[in-house]
Amino acid sequence: MIEVENLTKKYGERTAVNNISFSVRKGEVIGFLGPNGAGKSTTLRMLTGYLQPTSGSIRVGGVDAVRDPIAARRFIGYLPESVPLYREMRVEEYLRYRARLKGVRRAQLSARVDAALQLANVGDVRHRIIGQLSKGYRSRVGLADAIVADPPLLVLDEPTAGLDPNQIRQVRDLIRGMAGEKTVMLSTHILPEVESTCGRVLIVNKGQLVGEGAPGELRSAGQGGQLLIVESRGPRERLEAILSTVAGVRQVRDAFELESAAAPLCRLRLDVDGAAVAEAVSAALAAAGFALRELHCEQSSLEDVFASLTMRDSALHDETGSEPPAQINAAEGA
Amino acid sequence: MNAVLTIAKREVFAFFVSPIAYVVLTVWLLFFGIVFYVLALVFAQQPGAETNLLTAFFGGTTLFYLPLLVFTPVLTMRLLAEERASGTIEPLLTAPVSEVQVVLGKYLAAMTFWCVLWAPTLSYVWLVARSGEHAVDWGAIGSTYLGLFAVGVLYMAVGLLMSAVARNQIVAALLTFLVLGGLFVIGLAGYANVGDETRAVFEYLGLWTQMAGFAKGIVDTRYLVYDVSVAVVSLVLAVQVLQTDRSA
Repeated sequence: MIEVENLTKKYGERTAVNNISFSVRKGEVIGFLGPNGAGKSTTLRMLTGYLQPTSGSIRVGGVDAVRDPIAARRFIGYLPESVPLYREMRVEEYLRYRARLKGVRRAQLSARVDAALQLANVGDVRHRIIGQLSKGYRSRVGLADAIVADPPLLVLDEPTAGLDPNQIRQVRDLIRGMAGEKTVMLSTHILPEVESTCGRVLIVNKGQLVGEGAPGELRSAGQGGQLLIVESRGPRERLEAILSTVAGVRQVRDAFELESAAAPLCRLRLDVDGAAVAEAVSAALAAAGFALRELHCEQSSLEDVFASLTMRDSALHDETGSEPPAQINAAEGA
Repeated sequence: MNAVLTIAKREVFAFFVSPIAYVVLTVWLLFFGIVFYVLALVFAQQPGAETNLLTAFFGGTTLFYLPLLVFTPVLTMRLLAEERASGTIEPLLTAPVSEVQVVLGKYLAAMTFWCVLWAPTLSYVWLVARSGEHAVDWGAIGSTYLGLFAVGVLYMAVGLLMSAVARNQIVAALLTFLVLGGLFVIGLAGYANVGDETRAVFEYLGLWTQMAGFAKGIVDTRYLVYDVSVAVVSLVLAVQVLQTDRSA
């Protein structure tokens, strides 16, 4: 549905998007993840034809979006980041206008507008003036606009920004409900959103693609490796010293005393190479005469992956300037 | 063509739900009403004057053009500058429509405002005809309104271009005022001590003589060519501005 190759966008001297390539299959829900200013919106604006790329190619639904932007835009329903709407119009009027603009035939107009109103759950405000609506309603009117012409591809720039938890759930359900039938590309910096809706994630930082894969794959392939939680009774320094020497333990991330006593209960979090390290940890503590209260392995969250990918990248940039970071490719084929 | 009409319709709607439309219409009608009233008084005291009331009303240069320099920017300032300031230009330009369609839609809306503003002056024509004091030359009325339309063709296109260039409405209005005011001043330059031919060129460029001629019933195609040329250039430039913004 989308094929992007070597996409670059420069604003004067500043490179907002640097040589990004990816593709999205039909029916996929793909998350575009990155910190603010990473180039997410710029990339989506190039996809939707709002901005011309400095270089690179974009194909949407098999159409060259750079050469023939109007044909490409017919495939796309787009929700811009700040959800700009005509404030003086009524919701239904606005959707009718947008549907006409997108080439919906007059005969289908009412049916399409009704469907969009219902799907985006804004039917109750259809006669209200947009400028008087709350932010939550306005972003859902934007969503209704994106789906009103029934396009095969939805490009949603931070679709849940400004919504309350219930509305976020509704939007997620809506997106999940369209998976398979429609291709959805959404950007966000909220990780749970990606984990709950997207089949695949692209992580961008400083205009470059730094990671790609299914949320689960990224989690296990990410730098974070795994996190081992240990609770044991004994002096904190002793426990730390013993555990940091165990083979497979990269580092003791942190250690707390859970009570104040001569031999307090301590909770330590260790970055380890794999779940198997737990056995060595328990053996080492037993050998030193400490009793274990708890020992379990936590998968590093996508948050950790995200942090390590984006932080490492910025550290790298600070040291070496423009050298591109190594890519982590967890996807089977992209 | 459908997209052009859709855009134009929305623009006209937006203009007429805003208070600006009614303020402009009221002040406009008040101003031209007063001018018409005063002229009618003057002509009532001079039976057998050379020109007639309607020719003086539509052809009197300063009283005709000066208010337009103020009203035109108000009509056109929001066309594109407002879309840009509020961000609504993004959904507009990511819909499957071309920049040409957007500009033509906006222009069609602007011409609609122009015609709506002038339409009430038809009642003056009706009044004059009814009073029977002055003979109404229907040919001259036709050419008068053709001339008015042609002035609008130029003014609205310039206003639209300035609205495309400017980042907000105020700047758009000021730029339009400056450009149209500049054109008007070019006409004034004809009164400097220059030869008759140079003066004619200045007056032609500044539109000074356009309405004077059309109000008398003289359809001078040189003016129509000028108006349409400036309008086409302005609209082409406005399209260019929108296209350039995409690769900015």
